[in-house]
Amino acid sequence: MNEFEYLRQMRSLRRPVSPSRDLWAAIDGRLDETPATRSRHLWTRRLAVAAAIFGVAIFSGSIALRLAAPESSNVASSTHWKPDDPRLTGAAVELATAHSELTQAMHDSPDSPALRRILDRTQRQQERLRQLDRQAG
Amino acid sequence: MPELAAEPSDAAIVRAAAAGDRRAFEKLYRLHVDKVHGAVLRLAGFDHARAEDFVQESFVRAWQKLDTFRHDSSFGTWIYRLAVNTALMAIRARNADPVSIVDDEHLPDPADNPFCPAERDELERAIAALPPRARAVLVLHDVEGWKHEEIGNELGMAVGSSKAQLHRARSLLKRALGDTP
Repeated sequence: MNEFEYLRQMRSLRRPVSPSRDLWAAIDGRLDETPATRSRHLWTRRLAVAAAIFGVAIFSGSIALRLAAPESSNVASSTHWKPDDPRLTGAAVELATAHSELTQAMHDSPDSPALRRILDRTQRQQERLRQLDRQAG
Repeated sequence: MPELAAEPSDAAIVRAAAAGDRRAFEKLYRLHVDKVHGAVLRLAGFDHARAEDFVQESFVRAWQKLDTFRHDSSFGTWIYRLAVNTALMAIRARNADPVSIVDDEHLPDPADNPFCPAERDELERAIAALPPRARAVLVLHDVEGWKHEEIGNELGMAVGSSKAQLHRARSLLKRALGDTP
């Protein structure tokens, strides 16, 4: 038998083969316990964590806003930005953490409009904090 | 890589299943189980119990990953790849029968050593007796029609190693079929 015949014979093995029994019941029984469910729960937990961090960031930011003196404005855009005014440091850290968590969550679910809105709002908060820091000068 | 035939309604069924419709997922199972089982059965050396474990694992993983299915290929191709990968993971986990990289220049031309014709059962038994990694390469290349680059990627080996494993597997197969290597 030459190479061609050999390959023809081997390729003839490529055919559908029914399992000896119906495997659906066993598969169906495992679907509830799968990591899919766990990953959905994990995703819900992540969203809850992100929302909690966002809430803390908003709270800290509002305190910082009251403490900060309103003056001139200028916007910085560094990811690892640290405010000159120590009163804004806590809010900046919280917002940066929220931003990081949300970015990670967006990476996992890039099509989530809710996440996108929260991330946009977090970025706006960060921008406002930067403005306040410059105003406090 | 050869495409498996897709049912025209697959996309709608997949969307329903991805939304959590188990009946839709069962339909996908029924449509594709034979092709999936056939592929993993060959990789498992025609061990039916093991192949059925692979089938179960593959469909459970498919259910888990359905939301990542982008409809770039047919569901049949996707589940086939997933099932083959599931079977290969078991082979990779064993880290079985490694073979050193052999220069292409030194590989004998398989056509120099023709095979004797064999009955299908005889051929399947001979394939089943091969070492797992060599069998995986032989099945993927000579039966499933994969390229060495694809095999290398899936099995985590260099292209040269894949070729060497194929040569080794063919030689062992010839010997098992009573041919002089």
